[in-house]
Parts: sequence; structure tokens; C-alpha cells
Amino acid sequence: MNQLAVVLVFLPVIVSIVIYLSKWRHMNIVAIASQLALTIVAVVYFTHFYGDFESTHIVLGGWDSRIGISLANDELSMSFIFLSLFSWWMVLIYTFRFGHTEHSFLFFLIFLQGVFLGLLQSNDLFNVFVFLELATIIVTILIAYNKKGESFRSALYYLIVNVPAMLVFLTGIILVYFTFGSINIVALTEQFQDVDDTIILRFSYVLMMAGISVKAALFPVFTWLPKAHGVAQSAISALLSGLIVKAGVYLFFRMNFLYEGAGFAYSDFFFIVGVLTAISGVMFALSQKELKQILAFHTISQVGIIMMGVSSADSDMFYGGILHTFNHALFKSLLFLGAGVIIQVYRTKKVGEIRGVFKTMPVVSIFMIVGMLSITGAPFFNGFISKSIIKYGLAEQGWRYWALYVINIGTATSFIKMSQIFFGPKTLSYPLKNMAQNVAMMALAFGCVLLGNFYIPFSEGFFGIRVEEFDLTSFDVLLDYGITVAIGLVFYFTVIARDLKPVRMIRESRISFENANLVFLIYVVALTTYFVFLS
Amino acid sequence: MNPILTFLVVLIGFYGLSTSDNIIKSVFSVTIIESGVILLFLNLGNFQGGSIPILSEDLVSIVDPLPQALMITTIVIGSTVTALSLMLCIKIFHHYGSVKWKEVLARKDVKS
Repeated sequence: MNQLAVVLVFLPVIVSIVIYLSKWRHMNIVAIASQLALTIVAVVYFTHFYGDFESTHIVLGGWDSRIGISLANDELSMSFIFLSLFSWWMVLIYTFRFGHTEHSFLFFLIFLQGVFLGLLQSNDLFNVFVFLELATIIVTILIAYNKKGESFRSALYYLIVNVPAMLVFLTGIILVYFTFGSINIVALTEQFQDVDDTIILRFSYVLMMAGISVKAALFPVFTWLPKAHGVAQSAISALLSGLIVKAGVYLFFRMNFLYEGAGFAYSDFFFIVGVLTAISGVMFALSQKELKQILAFHTISQVGIIMMGVSSADSDMFYGGILHTFNHALFKSLLFLGAGVIIQVYRTKKVGEIRGVFKTMPVVSIFMIVGMLSITGAPFFNGFISKSIIKYGLAEQGWRYWALYVINIGTATSFIKMSQIFFGPKTLSYPLKNMAQNVAMMALAFGCVLLGNFYIPFSEGFFGIRVEEFDLTSFDVLLDYGITVAIGLVFYFTVIARDLKPVRMIRESRISFENANLVFLIYVVALTTYFVFLS
Repeated sequence: MNPILTFLVVLIGFYGLSTSDNIIKSVFSVTIIESGVILLFLNLGNFQGGSIPILSEDLVSIVDPLPQALMITTIVIGSTVTALSLMLCIKIFHHYGSVKWKEVLARKDVKS
């Protein structure tokens, strides 16, 4: 039964090759069918092993389990698998018409799914590296798929910033292999329980975290993200922002579970990095003028909030962070898909030039509003749940609480700015009615509302955590949100709408390619100083 | 070869990345970093007088075969990355007429 884990990796890979080689005109139907089969396999696998994930461990090729290629699943990876299946469903439905003619696009899209599912399930460190590197290469091609100069330069920037980071991650793996003689995560977790605290071990943690930080777009090393997510096709941006960035966050969880035995996990360092990430993401988002750039910078800020949650030993906050990973995937995909439709109709990306969306496209606008309410943390939408859990965890901690509060106000301001596109008279008729796009957005919006109201069974079923104890429906909560939005409105009309000089300065600030790499080196040095010399 | 020296190779690669404005040079800097990492792994698995890890009659002292198996994979991935980045370099040169990061990143995209 645990052989099914292999099917989850290879079915998309094989189907994608068939799609690429075939000349049949309706290959997107094959893609949907394979996605259906994959979902069924995942559900069967999950129901079979639910409650007993120890026995999912499988070593391929009959090698010694310490060195062979092995796959294993637990609650975390299974929930990520279902999240990625859902995201790929939405992207496949959204691009249904486009995929009609573009076989190579479908090839890369579905291949990426196989690679990503492999990354989630992989139980040996070297395969984590291989899958991550493969995902990087395929994402590069998908970013460049538009074949414009802008997309080529962003794709190359993405590749050249990410590959050295991955090699640094690999160096961390090498050090672990020579300390323990094993690369199997399950075996290593046991060995880590009684390990001597050596400099080599600390250095391996530092190198792994440095690599993962670039993948997750943390504070000083996020420069590739707005470039890549801003120019890719909207469906691809949705996938990148919703899911592929989460590969870094997922590995952050995994590696911290691994190093917990050695006493490295839950460090304040990553809380501070999270705060800086969130604040810088919000700051840049406030100054941007392009629809997709705003959304891309908000991915950075939301990853920062996730890091604030998961860097803490407080288990509620930790699960708040994990829940926020899921919620963010839903509402950010929704916002990117909606922005894609709007850009397609208006033929411009500038927020200032788009007006009257609500009159022109009422349905799309409603979906976008659901996404905006979710990301700003309105009650009864999913972003609210996870943000509130993190907020409750920080309630007694002074500046940390206020840092989150400032970030929430910034997010609210930024989406007040974006919501200006809805106002105004109807400017143009909406010629292309694409049912498939609306279906995908409807499912995501439905997911946002569903998780916002029925979060209790979800979080209990997947993670076994109880969230009833949080009072999330009181009047205080509504008042809190009202105050946040009110401050956001004032801030918008006094500073952002006037486009004051500091805002312009932030918008025009650039970091050159060389300095971006230098910043990465400085980040590695900072991590080394904190984890090797100070603690 | 000493592991410290391989570490120096990695540092040379990062030096190239953080000082050069040329796209082609940064692609090769990535290749240099990769070579450094591969050398490091092979070095740590190697020792003086070890023989090649092939099963035979006189199995006395063989070097660790796992690093070699893993590094073959890394080399394959690395060559893919190099090929892809050079292809993108050509495309960027066709679109912008330059291989300097500063010029390429500063330019507004021309409508095509």
C-alpha cells in the first residue's frame, strides 16, 4: 500500500511526457483526468494510513535505509499534498482554454506537480535537494514562458540567485552526512536526540537555513520574488506565490523538527527575521503601483507573519503559523487569478489606470473582495483565524504584539489602495466571458469562506489541535478589525494617496544584482554569528 | 586536496557573484561554486591510499562510494542549470542588446 507514494510522484511526470509528445488537440482533458486519478490515489493513501503514518516509510530499490532513496509521509506532508493538489486543480481549470493549444506549457506545469509532490514526501536529504533544484529549473522555464525580455531577465535573476543558495543547502547536507553517516530524515531524527553539540553541526544548521531562507524569500534575500512573480503569467504567479514559496517554509518546518533534538529549533532569530520580512514586504507593497507587484510584495509580508508564528515554542502560535500557510495559499492564489482576469480585460497593470471594475465585472470583483477581506484578516474569513491565533500568542509580549499590529495596518492600507480599482463608472464592456476562470476563482473563494467559518474540524482533523478555546466571534474582534481598517483609511488618504516623497523613494530604490548576492553572504555571516558563536 | 582549499573555491565563486556586473560571468561564478561544493563532498569521502569503490576480490580499503553517487547527480543538475542560464543569456542579449545586469535590469520592457 505504501507503494502509492511513488505513484504520486511518477504519475504526473509520465502523464506530462505523454502530453508533450502527443499531437491530439484535447490534451487538457488528459491533464484533468490524470489530476482526478492523482487526487483519488492521494485520498485512498490518506484514508489507509490515517492515524498510523509510521508505516508509510518506504525505501526504493532495496538499499540500506540509511543511504537509499526513501519516501515517508506524516500529517504535515499529507496536508501539504492535498493543498498542492487543490492548487494544481485550480490552475489547470483556470488555464483550461490556454492549455488547449500549449502542450509544452501543460508539460512543465504537470511535471512541476510531480516534482513538488516528491519534494513533500522525500525522506532523504539529498533527494530534497534534487527535487528542490528540479523545481527551481522548471519554475525558471515557466517564468520565462511569456518569451518577453522582461520575463527572460526575471527568470535568469531567479535562477542565479536561487542556485547558489541551493548549493549552500547542499553543503549543509554534506556536513550532516559526515557527522552521522546517514541522510535519512527518520533515522537522523533519532540520532539527533542524543548528539554532541559540535561546531560542525551548528554550521550545518546555519547553511541549511541560509538556503531555505532564499527559497522562502525571507528578509534580506527576497529580491528575486517580486521580479519573478510580477512578470509570470497570472496562473503561474498564483502557483508560485501560493505554493512554491511554501516549499521553503515547508523545509523550514522539516529541518527544525530535525534539529529540535539538538536544541536549535524555535529561535528568536527567525522571529526577528520574520518581523523584518513582514515590515519590508508591507513597505514595498504600499509604494508599488502595479497590481501584481503589490500582490507579490504581500507574499513576502505574509511569509513574514508565518515565520513570526512558527519561530516560537508556543505550540498554539506554531500551529497558527502552519494554518496561515494554508490560508495564504488560498487567498493569494485567488487574488492573483482575479488580478490576471482584470489585467487581461483592461490591458494594463497600473492600479491608477484601472477603475470601475465592480460595474464591469461584478462576479470577479466579489471574488477579489473575498480575497482582500481574507488577507487583511476580516472576521469570518480564513486569514482572520490564523492571524488571530498568532496574535493571541503574542498578546502579552510587548513590542512583538505591536509589530504584528503595525503589519496588519499596513496590509489593510495596501488593500484599501488596491480596492480603489472597484470604484468608478463602467468604462468598457467585458467581452471575454471565460467560465473556467470563474469556476477556479469561485472554488478558491469558497475555500476561503469555508475555512474561515469551519476551521475547528479542519485543524483537528489534520493537525490534532484544538482551537475552540480562542474566542473568535466576540464584539471585540470586530471592533479590532474596524480600528485597523480605520487607521488604514487615514494612513491611505494622508500619505499613500498623495504619493509623498518617502513613498516615491521606497518605490524607486533598487538593489543591484551584485549587492543582492553580497546581502546573501552577509545574511550567512549573521546566521553563523548568531547560531555558532553567540548561543 | 585540503577541504579548506575547496572552501576557498566556493568563496571565489561568491566573490565573482558579488562583484561582477556581467551576466555571463555570474553564470560561471555559479558553476565555480558548484565545483567547489562537489570537490568538498568528494574530498571528505576520500582518504590517502583508498581504492576505487568497485566490488572485486581484494576489498581492503575503498573510499566511500555514496558521495560519488550523489555528486554525479549534482553534476548533471549543474550542467542543466548552466545550459539553461546560457540560453537565457542569449535571449536577454537579443532583447536588450547587453549582458550587463545594471543595463538589463534598468531598462523598461519594449513592447513586442
